[in-house]
Amino acid sequence: MPQHASPKRRMELEAPDRFRPVVDHELCKKCKKCVSECSYRALEFVDGAVKPIGGCVACGRCLSVCPAQCIEIRQIQSMFPPHANFNERVRRGIMSQATTGGVLLTSCGTDIPYPVMFDELLLDAAQVTNPAIDPLREVVETATFVGGRKGRLEVKENGHLHIEKEPGPMVAMDMPIMIGHISLGSVSYNAQKALFAAAKELNILAGSGEGGLHKDFNVFSQNLVSEVASGRFGVTGDYLKRTAAVEIKIGQGAKPGHGGHLPGEKVSALISQTRMIPLGTDALSPYPHHDIYSIEDLQQLISVVKEATEYKVPIGVKIAAVHNVGAIASGIVRAGADFITIDGFRGGTGSTPRIIRDHVGLPIEVAISVVDQRLTKEGLRNRVTVFAGGSIRSSADMIKAIALGADAVMVCTAAMVAMGCRVCQQCHRGVCSWGIATQREELVSRLDPEVAAARVVRLFRSWNEELKEILGAMGIDSVESLVGNRDRLRYFGPNSKIAEIMGVKHVGEGWG
Amino acid sequence: MGGCGIAGCINMAGGRISGDTIGKMLETMGERENGLGAGYACYGLFPEHRDDYCLQFFFDHEGAKSEVEELLKSLGSIAKDEKVYSHKVKSMRPPFPIIWRYFFNPSQKLEWRGRSDLSNDDLVVQLAMHINADVPGALCVSSGKDMAVFKGNGYSYEISKLFDLGRYSGKMWLSHSRFPTNSPAWWGGAHPISILDWSVCHNGEVTSYGVNRKFVEMAGYRCSVLTDTEVVAYTWDLLVRKHELPIQAAAFAMAPWYHQDIKRLDPESARLATWLRLTYKEALLNGPFSIIVGRREPEVTLIALADRKKLRPLLCGRSVDGKTAYVASEECAVRVVEPSAETWTPNAGSPMMAQAGKGILRVGTEHPFEGVG
Repeated sequence: MPQHASPKRRMELEAPDRFRPVVDHELCKKCKKCVSECSYRALEFVDGAVKPIGGCVACGRCLSVCPAQCIEIRQIQSMFPPHANFNERVRRGIMSQATTGGVLLTSCGTDIPYPVMFDELLLDAAQVTNPAIDPLREVVETATFVGGRKGRLEVKENGHLHIEKEPGPMVAMDMPIMIGHISLGSVSYNAQKALFAAAKELNILAGSGEGGLHKDFNVFSQNLVSEVASGRFGVTGDYLKRTAAVEIKIGQGAKPGHGGHLPGEKVSALISQTRMIPLGTDALSPYPHHDIYSIEDLQQLISVVKEATEYKVPIGVKIAAVHNVGAIASGIVRAGADFITIDGFRGGTGSTPRIIRDHVGLPIEVAISVVDQRLTKEGLRNRVTVFAGGSIRSSADMIKAIALGADAVMVCTAAMVAMGCRVCQQCHRGVCSWGIATQREELVSRLDPEVAAARVVRLFRSWNEELKEILGAMGIDSVESLVGNRDRLRYFGPNSKIAEIMGVKHVGEGWG
Repeated sequence: MGGCGIAGCINMAGGRISGDTIGKMLETMGERENGLGAGYACYGLFPEHRDDYCLQFFFDHEGAKSEVEELLKSLGSIAKDEKVYSHKVKSMRPPFPIIWRYFFNPSQKLEWRGRSDLSNDDLVVQLAMHINADVPGALCVSSGKDMAVFKGNGYSYEISKLFDLGRYSGKMWLSHSRFPTNSPAWWGGAHPISILDWSVCHNGEVTSYGVNRKFVEMAGYRCSVLTDTEVVAYTWDLLVRKHELPIQAAAFAMAPWYHQDIKRLDPESARLATWLRLTYKEALLNGPFSIIVGRREPEVTLIALADRKKLRPLLCGRSVDGKTAYVASEECAVRVVEPSAETWTPNAGSPMMAQAGKGILRVGTEHPFEGVG
């Protein structure tokens, strides 16, 4: 019989904490609010003072609620002997796996400092030969339409021009932004309510995530894209028909080749009802859809969903950006998808194996360009709407993603940060102190859906204003004239091969 | 194309206009050019070869010329070929290309690279694009029936002198003088840019070039001149000849109303407007432009269009006798040839259209989808 290691012995071998809350005891009012607000139990009140007891994740909740502003979170300086190859991150991973013996779980997008091509692209502006446009004085349009297109319109003429019938379903958004699929389960009722309310207020789309749709959220359905994922959680005919669009989720940038992961800790009564699964069980979606083992199977599912929704809403397919993304996207368009969502490897998640999050997929910047070029080459680009996500952090990323070839972007993490998220990468633990990625009622109630929705609305309105400013500066008065307009980008980075693959000229190169 | 001058005129009553007239119109707007390119297009000038495709070329050397001739002979018959008349203009600097004209007819039942479904028009388009992209030293300057383009690298007065434009008369003339800012000055880059029976003179800079280029490339066009004007010419051919859009609808796709204004249209027009925008969003020509477009099929037609914010000038005119229509960047270009002409300015994004044998079909202030003719 194996000997169990003593607790003391285990503590010595485990990875040390990275953060520590430090309390200024002179200023502390001893109200203990920090102690009660810390959902990670990293603080306690002993001997008349607040003390850290380990486990801090730097979520920042304590210092945000401290009335005396006397808490500071410190990053504990590395006590690992310096080694550039076996760096601290590597050694911590080994220590954790030696302790747990399992696949390491994490959340949010990868935190490895891979090069970010968005930061290596510069935008153009109008000078002399074409006038810049001031969006405060002139019209600059950002309306974006989601749906399939026929590539050609038949116009009749008998005294007056007209068309016989509208070519197909199309959904209008006021700006080229979609709030991505953040499921009820991965986030709380209040968080999802805030995101949906923001989408409605902004007249944009938001994804339902794969957790089905709570009945209270039917009021938002005209701004929602329902998701058919491999687990088919909550998918009913009614669910599909009610929303503005339907998306078949094949993959997600944070975990290509994997299905959804919802730890049992987060499967509360509410989640159990909406997803139609037993209370407290892990909800692990199958890796593939078990009725889609090939492109022709996908074509059938697209047809089935189109039939089920009576051809009244656009049907899309979401894939993770993988190495052959151009050819896959082409196949998806040919299989009948009205829109495609490409999710880059930096995309966020509520729970994923770290090995996949950190090491699988393609950066979205490259994936967008490759897909846009491939679809253009095959004469298909004007048949489909392309969404791009996977770490769109700012309006600058959004604008560059559009110029690289996306019709619109899909944003999640930035919306979460607007609501309070600090990107501490602990979503999978289900004890989010901000009431976002948790199902514990006492934590969920910390998030005021109205306040959170208003913050998301302000964030995206400001992005849209910045988009107009940039369009105007480029002498462009409608966002569709930026989609795939790579001529207005220049690459300013160390690897001109990347620029070549993205179809972007190097800085210093002119037009002709 | 930066700042440029454009001018055009059409006789709508069956008469002909001398090359001297268009020369005067263009040269009057001397402020708009800097000697780096000018050109003219004439329609209805080869009555004896009116059913042959007139292919005009710039050749850098004899080798390119023989290569093109071999190609033409392999694909059809040459009814006649000749040197395009030109004489030396002292102020112009070399190099001067060899300028040659072929009256060409494609063979019946011809295959183009394994494709047997192409019409003669399609074949000529493919041929011109193939030569421009793949035959070094050869550039097909114009390829329509009963029309020709005369252009080069110089001032407008130099080019009209070079080709002795007074020796030609036709139903319609288009012209352009250049002040290039975004592509190099060279013979092939001068306007009009022409494909099949379409020719385009363009004052402006298309800020959506990358998008518009993708749009035409998806339909099989190959961009070789690499100017925004080339893409504008292909877009007209694609939308009107291939997709059979009425000209007003094609113009709307290129210079559409804002969504907020479309809401004010009657429901049927709003539906058409919205779907034109959605279907052809890659055809939207963003940025400042005014263009004059010429076409020969089904009848010689002049189209003038300004961008939807009207960031470039465009003025139309009609002669006192009502027989001639004019379009130009500036009013002086009309006054110099017809001092008492009636003039007006079309609305932003609204095409003016005039047709030989029919008259002015649109003045450019009508409802966007009003029928014509």
